[in-house]
Amino acid sequence: MSASNESVAFDTPARERRADAFAMWIFVGSEAMLFGAILLVFFMARISYGAAFAAASQRLSLPLGTLNTVVLITSSFAMPLAHLYASAGRWRAALWSLAATVLLGLGFLGIKTAEYTMEFREGIAPVLGAPFTYDGPDRVHAEFFFGLYFAMTSLHALHLIGGIVVIAGMLMLWTRANEASRLRRVHAIGLYWHFVDIVWVFLFPVLYLINR
Amino acid sequence: MSEFRKLTFAYLGLLGLLVLTVGSSFFPLGGLNSVLNLVIAGGKAGIIALLFMQLAADGVLPRLAAATAALWLAILFGLTLIGQ
Repeated sequence: MSASNESVAFDTPARERRADAFAMWIFVGSEAMLFGAILLVFFMARISYGAAFAAASQRLSLPLGTLNTVVLITSSFAMPLAHLYASAGRWRAALWSLAATVLLGLGFLGIKTAEYTMEFREGIAPVLGAPFTYDGPDRVHAEFFFGLYFAMTSLHALHLIGGIVVIAGMLMLWTRANEASRLRRVHAIGLYWHFVDIVWVFLFPVLYLINR
Repeated sequence: MSEFRKLTFAYLGLLGLLVLTVGSSFFPLGGLNSVLNLVIAGGKAGIIALLFMQLAADGVLPRLAAATAALWLAILFGLTLIGQ
């Protein structure tokens, strides 16, 4: 095993890096199946109950949803910067870029929490036994819309939390890892983080921008 | 073009597409609104995959994994929506 290899299974660091990337892409592909299936359920319901979904979508906060998209896109910009700096051996800059990614991820979760709080107060959160007091048209299918909205956004938030935990763990082990390992880890977690961003890129217009 | 500049352009492009998708939703285009939103989302996903995730530069295997996922999703969506 080379000094910069993490596993004995690979004879060169380049081979290990390619294997890492391939495995992460397969993982990302399997995650795409999960979110794809849920999006398909949403599309089918949207085709059947378009008017109810459009009216219910108006109750979501477009300013907060847009702000959250900006925050997540910015975090997705900080992540390749971390990889760029790590590739150039600028470890301090890479560290700051990763820290910025985590902070922006936490910012996204903070804004989402504020949004959820507003929705619970408005009575449009048919989850966790909360009262559903929506007064718009077609209450039954509006409830279905909000149920799907909470399922999709909370599943996305769980994935984001997972990413934040992994990056935080990586930062804690930063000084113990050798430089080649750091670079591989930044690349691998970057692929996951960008996938979570891509999921939001689709969730945002699908949920917030129905017939505005 | 330096890597940093490329990433910055990608970031600004993503923000530009966000403005476009939010702005277009205020114009009543009927069913075109949803189509436009999905096309723009696809464009954003393409920018993220190609430039941030380095899909084009990372060798054949990642592209194979991404294409396989896209194929299965196309089958899932295609077979479900074909009867609608």
